[in-house]
Order: sequence, then structure tokens, then C-alpha cells
Amino acid sequence: MHVPDGFLPAPVCIAGYGLTGLTAWYSLKRIRRQADPARHVPKASLLAAAFFVASSIHIPVPPLSVHLVLNGLLGAVLGFYAFPAILIGLFFQAMFIGHGGLSTLGINACIMGFPALAAYGVFRLRNRLPLRNRDAIASFLAGCLGVGLGAALFIGVIVLTLPPTLDAATERAALLGLGLAHLPLMLAEGGFTAVLVAFLQRVKPELVSAGAQPAPVRQPLTADIRGPL
Amino acid sequence: MNIEIERYAQMQSPVHQWAPRSKLVGLGLLVVAYATVQSLWLVPVMVGITALLYLGSRLPLSFLRSRLRYPSLFLLGVVMTLPWLSGTTVLWQWGPLALRQEGLLTVVLVASRFVSILTLGIVLLGSTPFLQLIGALRGLGLPDLLADMTLLAYRYLFDIADQLARLKQAMRLRRFSFLQTQSWQPLAAVTGTLLIRTYEQSERVYKAMQLRGYGSGHALYEQTQTWGTGLDLAGLIGCGAIAATLMALQWG
Repeated sequence: MHVPDGFLPAPVCIAGYGLTGLTAWYSLKRIRRQADPARHVPKASLLAAAFFVASSIHIPVPPLSVHLVLNGLLGAVLGFYAFPAILIGLFFQAMFIGHGGLSTLGINACIMGFPALAAYGVFRLRNRLPLRNRDAIASFLAGCLGVGLGAALFIGVIVLTLPPTLDAATERAALLGLGLAHLPLMLAEGGFTAVLVAFLQRVKPELVSAGAQPAPVRQPLTADIRGPL
Repeated sequence: MNIEIERYAQMQSPVHQWAPRSKLVGLGLLVVAYATVQSLWLVPVMVGITALLYLGSRLPLSFLRSRLRYPSLFLLGVVMTLPWLSGTTVLWQWGPLALRQEGLLTVVLVASRFVSILTLGIVLLGSTPFLQLIGALRGLGLPDLLADMTLLAYRYLFDIADQLARLKQAMRLRRFSFLQTQSWQPLAAVTGTLLIRTYEQSERVYKAMQLRGYGSGHALYEQTQTWGTGLDLAGLIGCGAIAATLMALQWG
């Protein structure tokens, strides 16, 4: 779901950087509202590195094997730290292994980062589910959403930027094939995320709660509302 | 996974001597200009400028080849399909297969943009130590939190890659294969163990950072870079002028 360099026109690349800049600014704003914004920086950095390394971990989805994406997991675990973490992971992928691109870093961050934030939103809703396995269900949905929404955004970008000389029937068939190919991927990522989150909750529950956002710091009222007596 | 990019970062060359901030902005402007190229006649200009910059960096060609090998696999898919599917002017036909002019020209355009932009990235990253690059980005307005996360993530990359390699070896010694397992439980356990080990290390790192004043207004890396000397600025202005000319020629 990474778009390489040279494939997209400049206005799309610039728009991608613009959207990424805005989203990163908003994410950092939400992070700075916490009592100790630096508290989760080492954990977020760790998962940014894990996001990068995840591309080398393959899980079997017969008859093939697929590599993990982990943007759903990052969203569930990191919350608003997920977007900067994914941006950094994509930067490393473009820099170290040429996966994705530097001119398309913005658009790739949107494709992977927006679903991560959506996955965080879904994971947060788990406490409202009146079900016994709500953590597993929420993690599964977060994992699926990470890949599914990412694939939808990727296909959207491709549709908007395909050469006009391409045969329409071929274009439709290719896009349909691409979409269908991501369905097993989505389920695999969802299932794997659920199993992984269950493992982490048993062994290191504070790792999963890293994305919990405590109430923003509010300054106490200092003015004496009684006025002079 | 080969994540070593700083192998040649300490070499001596005009590009290595270029101040990181000026270099980053100059090459960034060229990348933007390359992304706007839609006319085929600008392709030799773009490739020529890129080749000159690469020669100026004195980075070995083997380094460029090794860095282009993996990303070129993505390009291969486009190269193999687009000339046969896109366009109406048939250059050559064999049964149902028809080589089309428009598709072929699109491939030339996309491939040359791809290789040129990628090569500029390799020149930038191969000639600039990573720490200086982050310093340059901070000087251009990268928030402290993001810069700190990038530095720490870079630090953890090597730890995680090393831990993963050891975990995989331990599993192979126990005759366990990632791809032949019937259950995701062991895979999740391995991935979870990897995350937990590095997480515990990150906790210790955070406590050590706190003891050294981190989090009270101090960033991990204080950048002290400037735009460089007059020569560095001249390089930046030169790149800017080339980028502006390319865009003007494209849209003019």
C-alpha cells in the first residue's frame, strides 16, 4: 500500500504533505495536552521501529504469506502517538530500503496513518461493548480497519492518478483484483492483532494501555470568585 | 534486513561538505521539480542533473545499485504491464499482445522520475550522517517531540532487528518455521516477546533520560547548524534555480 517515487503528480504529493502536516500538528497538539507528553515517547519510538521491522515478518495466509502492516495495532496501542510513529516508520522504510518514497511520504502517511487513528477510535469504544470478549473483538476490528481503510485509500489515490490512456475495463478489473486481494490480508491482520493484543494484555498490560489518553491538564481556577469581602 | 545507510557518510566530496540544511532544502526543491516533469524532452535534463550530483558525491556505483535493487521490483510491475495496456497507437503486435506507444512513453517518464528521485534521496542520505540530518530538519521547524521520536526509533531499529534475528534463529534451532505453522499463537508470542523486550529496554532508557533532564524543556539533540558558508548557499540557490527552470519549462 506504499506509493513509490515518481508515480504521482506533484500536486498530489504536495497535497499529501499538506494533509500529513496538518494531521501531525493536530496529533502533537493532543499529545501535548497530556500531563507528561514525554512519558510515552520511548514506547511510541519503539513501535515506530517495530512498524518498520514488521515488513520483514511474514504470516501464512494460504496459499501465500503476507507481511504485517501493524498500523491498526499502533492505533490501538499508541492513540495519537500513532500518526507520528507511522510517519517516522515510513520515513525509515523510504530511507533504508526504498519502500515507498520521499516525494510520496506525505501521501503514504495519509494512507497508513488515517486508518491508525480510526483504529484507535474503534479500540477506545471497547469499554462500551457489553460483551465478554470485547478486547479481542475491538482489537480484531482495529486490525481489520487498519488494513481495510488503508487499502481503500490506496485504491482511491491510484484511481485519481491513473493515466487516462489506460483501458477502462482493464482499469476496473485491476482495481477490483487489488481490492479483493486485500480482503484476506485484512482478516489476517485483524486476527493477528487480536491474538497479539491478548498476549500483550496477559504479559504486559501497560504496553496496551500506552494509548490511553488521560484527561487534559486543566489549570485550577485561581481567581477568588467570592470577590472582596 | 540491510538498514546501513551511513557507510559512506564520512567521505570527502563537494556534496559531503555541503551544509546539511542547505543540502536538504536544495535537493528537496529538485525532488519537487522532478515530480512535476511530464514532458519527455525534460527527462534527459533531469537524468543529467541527477547523474552530476551523484558523481559529485563520489558515492560508489555499487552503493546506488544495491539501493535501487529492491525498489526497482515495484517499477518492474509497471514496466511489464503498462506498455501493453495503455494507449491506442500500436507499435508492434503479436497475436493478442500489442505494444502501445502511449504506454511505453508513460513507462519511460515514470521510470526516469522514479530513478532520479530515488537517486537524489540516496545522495542526501548517503552523504549526511543521520544525526546531522535530524538536526537540519529541526532547524527547518521539525517539532522537538517528532525529532526525539525519530532519534529514539533509529536507535531501536538496530535493537529490534538484532532481537528479531536472534528469535528467528532460536525458532529455527527448535525446527519451527514461520510459514509452516498452523496457528498464529506462536507467531503472536514471538512478535509480542519482541515488543515486550524492547519495551522494557525503552522504560529503562526513559528513566535514564529523565535523570539527565529530559522532559523539562530539553530535547535529545540540540541542533547548532546554520545554512553554511556562502558556497553552501550558492549550492542551495543553484538547486532552486534549476528547480524553478524545470518547472517553468514544464508549465510554460
